[in-house]
Amino acid sequence: MTSSTLNVARPRITLEAPAAPLPSPVDPGPADAAPETPHVQAEQFSILYGEAMAVREISMVIPDRQVTAIIGPSGCGKSTFLRAINRMNDLIPCCHTTGRLLFDGQDIHSPQIDVISLRKRVGMVFQKPNPFPKSVFDNVAYGPRLFGIRNIRTLTEIVERSLSRAALWDEVKDRLAQNALGLSGGQQQRLCIARALAVEPDVLLMDEPTSALDPKSTARIEDLIAELRGDYTIVIVTHNMQQAARVSDFTAFLYEGVLIEFGQTRKLFTNPHNKQTEDYITGRFG
Amino acid sequence: MELSTRKTLDRAFSGTGMFSICLMTASLLVILLPVFAKGIKAFVFRETIENRKMILEQFHRGDSAALDIEWESARTARQPVYDAMQAFRIELDTLEGSRRRELRSSFREVESALQSLLGPEPGSTLSPLLRNRYGQTRWDRAQVKLQQVLFREAWDYSRPGEAGTRQWIPRKQTFAGTRLEPMFDHLETKLDSMLQPRWTFYWRFLSDDSRDSHLFGGIWPEVLGTLYLTIGAMLFAVPMGVIAAIYLTEYARPGRVVQILRTCISTLAGVPSIVFGLFGLAFFINTLQVSSSKSVLAGSMTLALLILPTIIRASEEAILAVPRTYKEAALSLGSGTWNMILTVLLPAALPGILTGIVISMGRAAGETAPIIFTAAVSVGKPLTLLQTLTQPTPALPWNIYNLATEHAAVEEIRHVQFGMVLTLVVMVLILNATAIAIRARIARRMKG
Amino acid sequence: MPDSRILNVSRDLVLSRRASQIQRLTSLLGRSFLFMVTSVSVLAVLFIIIFITRDAFPFFQIRGFREFFTSTHWFPSGNPPEFGALSIITGSALVAMGAAIVAVPLGVLAAVCLSDVLPFSLRQVAKPIIEILAAIPSVAYGFFALVIFAPALQEHGGIILTVCLWMLALPAALLAATVISDLVVAGIPTSRRPAMRGICWLTLVGGALFALVQGSGHLLDLTISSGTNALNVSIILGIMALPTVVSVSEDALQAVGRDLREGSYALGATRAETLVKTIIPAAASGIAAASILGIMRAVGETMVVWMASGNAAQIPTPWYNLLQPVRTLTATIAGDMGEADHVLGSARYHVLFAMALSLLLFSFGSNFVSEHIGRKFRSRQAGG
Repeated sequence: MTSSTLNVARPRITLEAPAAPLPSPVDPGPADAAPETPHVQAEQFSILYGEAMAVREISMVIPDRQVTAIIGPSGCGKSTFLRAINRMNDLIPCCHTTGRLLFDGQDIHSPQIDVISLRKRVGMVFQKPNPFPKSVFDNVAYGPRLFGIRNIRTLTEIVERSLSRAALWDEVKDRLAQNALGLSGGQQQRLCIARALAVEPDVLLMDEPTSALDPKSTARIEDLIAELRGDYTIVIVTHNMQQAARVSDFTAFLYEGVLIEFGQTRKLFTNPHNKQTEDYITGRFG
Repeated sequence: MELSTRKTLDRAFSGTGMFSICLMTASLLVILLPVFAKGIKAFVFRETIENRKMILEQFHRGDSAALDIEWESARTARQPVYDAMQAFRIELDTLEGSRRRELRSSFREVESALQSLLGPEPGSTLSPLLRNRYGQTRWDRAQVKLQQVLFREAWDYSRPGEAGTRQWIPRKQTFAGTRLEPMFDHLETKLDSMLQPRWTFYWRFLSDDSRDSHLFGGIWPEVLGTLYLTIGAMLFAVPMGVIAAIYLTEYARPGRVVQILRTCISTLAGVPSIVFGLFGLAFFINTLQVSSSKSVLAGSMTLALLILPTIIRASEEAILAVPRTYKEAALSLGSGTWNMILTVLLPAALPGILTGIVISMGRAAGETAPIIFTAAVSVGKPLTLLQTLTQPTPALPWNIYNLATEHAAVEEIRHVQFGMVLTLVVMVLILNATAIAIRARIARRMKG
Repeated sequence: MPDSRILNVSRDLVLSRRASQIQRLTSLLGRSFLFMVTSVSVLAVLFIIIFITRDAFPFFQIRGFREFFTSTHWFPSGNPPEFGALSIITGSALVAMGAAIVAVPLGVLAAVCLSDVLPFSLRQVAKPIIEILAAIPSVAYGFFALVIFAPALQEHGGIILTVCLWMLALPAALLAATVISDLVVAGIPTSRRPAMRGICWLTLVGGALFALVQGSGHLLDLTISSGTNALNVSIILGIMALPTVVSVSEDALQAVGRDLREGSYALGATRAETLVKTIIPAAASGIAAASILGIMRAVGETMVVWMASGNAAQIPTPWYNLLQPVRTLTATIAGDMGEADHVLGSARYHVLFAMALSLLLFSFGSNFVSEHIGRKFRSRQAGG
């Protein structure tokens, strides 16, 4: 960790983030009405593992119903930040936060927050496909069942709709009762997306969702993300810059826990403000 | 050292390793084969007509009409023996003093050996002891008894300074010239028709009560007692063990408390089983008074403590083997911790937990020392479910010990002892085979 | 698509103060329930110590410590009674030592073989054998020892021992002869080496064979007065302790890791050299822990010794004479409790608890040592 670069970088973000509020993107897109409070918003938000700071005083507003990509070299804190949004970091002992991370105007890390309803509204897809060792149907129905839906017809409807949304319905409609572990890697990941969609979240977090997949499956997932944009706020962490450029509307570049630059993807990739961003994008490090 | 020597040493080293594994396998076979070979004789043997009679009278099974016909022919075959004895009794009184005394004592031996071989003489009063009412029920035992009728055992101490050697002296010599003499030949040649041996498969050995302290009948009270104790122990130990494993893996933060918990669990695993027995007596019976004296309940509790560490360890391992990603997926869908444990973690860990449970069941079934002072009695009736709360029970492991060392007729009931050992060993082996099968399935699933 | 929602969850994102308190309380309650169930094992250990000590204490109060640990006169039902447990403690130690002699070398060799020598398919066969060996109930071992092994030992003891001697000593002698003759000729010019080696080897083997024949002559003359003796029990206990020794030392050997093995092979060492010089020393503490656990099992075992040790409270003469019957702590507790039960509160009753306490202390001690060794081993593996 070189503190000199950090010292240079830090004032610039704190200046930039409030200077460029991005709740209403330039390109209106399919979003019909932007809500008044943005869904996810970070204010001077830091995450610490014991003494070590993983994420440093990030301030940003994640635009609604758009795809936001978080890029950066490995170990830059992008996954940690993503996992903070639905409090998956609770599983890690001695991890705590400062500053505020808001969801619907509420501080996610306040003790008053009901983690369960938070996680219901902020879904997550993980790096490796992780279907449960149950049937395809039970995998998708897991979430709805948690929230008390027992009626088999309703469940079937949800399952079909979620699988269709995840572009998996046609492939698995005859094998709903089979073990999900029998599907291919790409199918498993789409199943995980369907599973996350089944609880009807507002935000979908994706933690390098294609890193364990082959190029063909990756392309399908990327198509799927493109289809889902507009209905969900999607935050995707990726170490693959081409992917970020392909699927996202907005891109945030994190380096050593610090938000270096955040803006529209097109702008960020073609005309970065920051020297470090430019170096990273052009492949000089990372 | 030269290369060739190094290679020889290397080969010799591998050889010793193989040798030790072979030795282990051999010892397993040496222990199991006799148990199987002789244990099976409790189930499959040549039964005599005495056995059929006993089964009919005591257990009310069998064809009484067919038995009557057989009995008639057996009686005809036996009649000459009894005739000869009757004739000799009369002859005995006519003999002169010293010879009479000599023959009388010898004749008494013949009479009692014959009674134990063929059952009571017709017309004699019925003894209250079951063992005196029937002759030999098994053909192999009948052969041994026949030997005792035909020969007299004597010890030759003629060579000084050495242990005596055993000799068999034919009784025919002793009784030469008397009216008893032809009886011996008749007995030897006609024993077949007197006892009418026939192969039988006595599977009810498992489900029959024992009669006259295991001289007749089966081992049902022991089997049932073992089942009660094992299941009882599991009822206590499984919930406690699985819950403890969940706490240790999912809730406990590493620290001094967990360190103490773990130390105690491994300490508990090292406590000698006989100490568990004493503890069960001192704590469950004398202090808590779960029952006024030995009972299945107290025994189950003691056994539960004994197998608790095994179950905790196995469950912990199984839970730790569940991928972390399952947990994360469940939580990210909005599941609470408990819900996650019940719907994702435990189902995924279930085969591993089951393996541990099944193996500790085998252990609980076979343990003897903890139940000596807390649950086991030598003779008893099969218990009802309610009685298990207050009554002691016979159990396979304890009764194997008991019959093999403390029974009045240890040699006579070897087949029962072996049958019990076989039953117990097969029970344990089946449980272990189940565990191995479950594990193989897990391995296959992990691969696939 | 908020319009088409099926899942209408009315849960608020923010809990009311009351709801959050209730939630925290339930979670705390749940946690403490789990913790309480988990502490049953702690309570069990504590209660075992308390109850055994409580009942052992009166004995030392009545009779003092000296007699128990120093006298060999064991007549609990005599008049006056005598409670010298020295011979019984010696019996336990003797039998455990015998079991260790059987189990430790065999077990470690088998573990080495399992972890490094056998191909995978054979390992899959060998593992269940060890498991079955571990699963057979102790009373079945005891029954075997009493009903089958003891008579065999009594009648054909000489032959059995001779066969064992030849099986173990002959290969060892051949190997030793090879190595020694190799070392002897090391200083001799190359041209004369093979001849010298041959001569040397033949001499050594001849000597060994002569010694073996002499030894087996003695063994064959041996009369064993009773098959239920310390030797019988030692062998059976050794077999019973084997699975523990094998599986724990195999774990230790596996934990050493591939790097060390590959490093050694890369230097041109044979498998035996790699194992003996590198892997086994690295796993030594784990193997020591395995041996301790094995000995613990032998000391704590009841049924086999009760049935087949002869139960004579005496120190064999000479002390290492395994062919004489002995009596152990566990068998004494099991055997005498039936009679002592009626005289609750007497020294005769409490002496058994004193014995249990000695057993318990021994098992705690060795458990502590093996845990300590094991932890050191693990942390070294993790660190290095």
